[in-house]
Amino acid sequence: MVEMVFITPFVTGLLAFVLPKAVSRQLLVLTGAVHLVLSLLLWKNTPQAFFAEYFAVTPEGLLSLLVISLLFFLISIYTTGYLAAHSLKSENIFTGFMLLFLSTMTMVTLSDHIMVLWIAIEATTLASAPLIYTHRSGASLEATWKYVLICSVGIAMALVGSLFLTFSMELGGVTSAMSFSALTPVAGQLDPAWLKAGFIFIVVGYGTKMGLAPMHTWLPDAHSEAPSPASALLSGVLLNCAYLGIFKTNKIMVSAGLSDFSGTILIVFGLLSIVAAATYILKQTEYKRMLAYSSIENMGIIALGTGIGGLGVYGAVICMIHHSLIKSSLFLSSGNILMGYKDRLIANTGQMAKQMPKTFVAFFAGFAGISGFPPFGIFIGELFIIMAAFKTGHYLAAGIFIFSLCVIFAGFARQVMAICFDTPTETDTQPAADQKNFLFKEPPGMVWPQYVLLLTSLILCFFIPDALYQTIVDAVHAIGGGLQ
Amino acid sequence: MTLYTVDTLLTLVLLSVLFAFGSSRVPALIKVMAFQGIVVSIIPFFITPHMATGAVIFTIATLVIRGVLIPLSIHLAIRKVAIQRDVAPIVGYHASLFFGLGLIVAAAVISRYLNIPSISDSQLLFPAAISLLVTGMFLLMARRNAIAMVIGYIMLENGIYLMGTTFSVRARHIVEFGILLDVLAGVMIMAVILQNIKQTFDDVDTSLLRTLKE
Repeated sequence: MVEMVFITPFVTGLLAFVLPKAVSRQLLVLTGAVHLVLSLLLWKNTPQAFFAEYFAVTPEGLLSLLVISLLFFLISIYTTGYLAAHSLKSENIFTGFMLLFLSTMTMVTLSDHIMVLWIAIEATTLASAPLIYTHRSGASLEATWKYVLICSVGIAMALVGSLFLTFSMELGGVTSAMSFSALTPVAGQLDPAWLKAGFIFIVVGYGTKMGLAPMHTWLPDAHSEAPSPASALLSGVLLNCAYLGIFKTNKIMVSAGLSDFSGTILIVFGLLSIVAAATYILKQTEYKRMLAYSSIENMGIIALGTGIGGLGVYGAVICMIHHSLIKSSLFLSSGNILMGYKDRLIANTGQMAKQMPKTFVAFFAGFAGISGFPPFGIFIGELFIIMAAFKTGHYLAAGIFIFSLCVIFAGFARQVMAICFDTPTETDTQPAADQKNFLFKEPPGMVWPQYVLLLTSLILCFFIPDALYQTIVDAVHAIGGGLQ
Repeated sequence: MTLYTVDTLLTLVLLSVLFAFGSSRVPALIKVMAFQGIVVSIIPFFITPHMATGAVIFTIATLVIRGVLIPLSIHLAIRKVAIQRDVAPIVGYHASLFFGLGLIVAAAVISRYLNIPSISDSQLLFPAAISLLVTGMFLLMARRNAIAMVIGYIMLENGIYLMGTTFSVRARHIVEFGILLDVLAGVMIMAVILQNIKQTFDDVDTSLLRTLKE
């Protein structure tokens, strides 16, 4: 039964609110493991959903689900170490909402009904808001307020868009179920005017959640104020969930023969996000915000690739998978940095290569991966997108894209070098982080999850299992993508 | 005959929109919102004369949530924190009212040109829905008081509900109910955040929330 995959974490999440702290921590890891097994079972044989009208297993859903599962399992291991090192006042609330968050995100990947997808995506906002407010500071309160309000209003726009889709069904005389899988084959009969309007609203709505500029303003705040395991989840998988909503709607658009219209919109939003990220990443003074802007950049790249179509869609999906793996490892490493230096500012860090050699390896490799260096997968994804852009004659888009990538790399590299190798500046309040007062010993549980994430990304570059490859091809084929 | 009733009810919604634009006090705004929630959620009763049991139950649930629970949770949130009651406008009240009037006229004109299925029987359904949507957006952007912003969000959701009423008649109620629960949970979380904002900053003026930039 497909629904078990999201019911399990929901139940354990509720349990985690009432169980003792130590048990909840174990429960977190255990649920992560069970969830991973359940999602792998979905890969083995694709079962029918019990509520087949609302839920279905789709190729793109399977891909996102596997990424969510793997990430959550590794992050849950990191989290046990993180919770042991921090004394959170409301630890049960944290673990409970982590699990509920997992449940809602899983529901997003399995939703097939247009409205159920909306419900699930809005539920991810609600389940993750308490995670951002974990530290109970004024700044985290502000971040939570922005997150809940901006995302709720944004997602309300997606609801308007979904309603427009029902209008287009009614005008076109389509009486099938309101699910993506039922609508895609009959998309040609839908009323194109309302369908286009619906698509615009859905892109703006889910784009807000995905972090596309200019609706991205909540993202750097939320990602920097949340505890690092939560940031890793937010950046690694939540953004993908929102992208899934746009991806599925785009499937209907392509099938209705409106791929030029939807493609142009996605390209514009994608480029805007990449340029916005390039502008802001240069002057970032906090490393977690810098990583958040890099997420906006990557979401822009994914939207751009989807908009270009063909090989670009394949590149976008590759980028999505590898961005999740690499960015979550970076956010986990940033948690270690924060614990070591007790400061968010880049200026107050330095010499990480000496102070935290293990975290340094993970952080630096992650930086190389996220900037699109071979042998990490983002390189391949970006290359495909650029090739597709040239092939389809989007020369201007490709030019802006390549230029922004260079700027982002320059900005990112400067900051990472400062963190890793610079001698820390000494201020009055903050003594230099030298060997003596450097208390953070890197426990293995807080280092090797990052290594596993990066290694997975590395291995997927050279060797993609047939089942995975076939699923990616199936997913991108539905929106006119492929390896040609 | 029922259609006249629907349009009469919808004029009340439009009136509440104007009140919302002109209100300077938070409690008044909450009352407007509660009134609006009630009117919006009883409209399905008049659109379809013979409702199935499931639809009746769902409509009553909507009434309870939109008309009672949501306004009540906001009311309790501000009662607990005894808040300054001005909505701190960025755009003045006269300009707001003028904007509201223009909005209603524009919404009515635009709706005539839109090809909307099955709403065409009622003259005012779509204009009222658009007006509510834009009013919500307006309150979100033109008021600095955090409570007024949450009320704006609720009005936005009311507008979407109104837009979907004809759709909700034929859709699965379980799905509609899920949407409603999401909205309710969202408002509750916002209410909790409101209380925390008040406790932390001793005010609900969002211009105080300025530590995070870029």
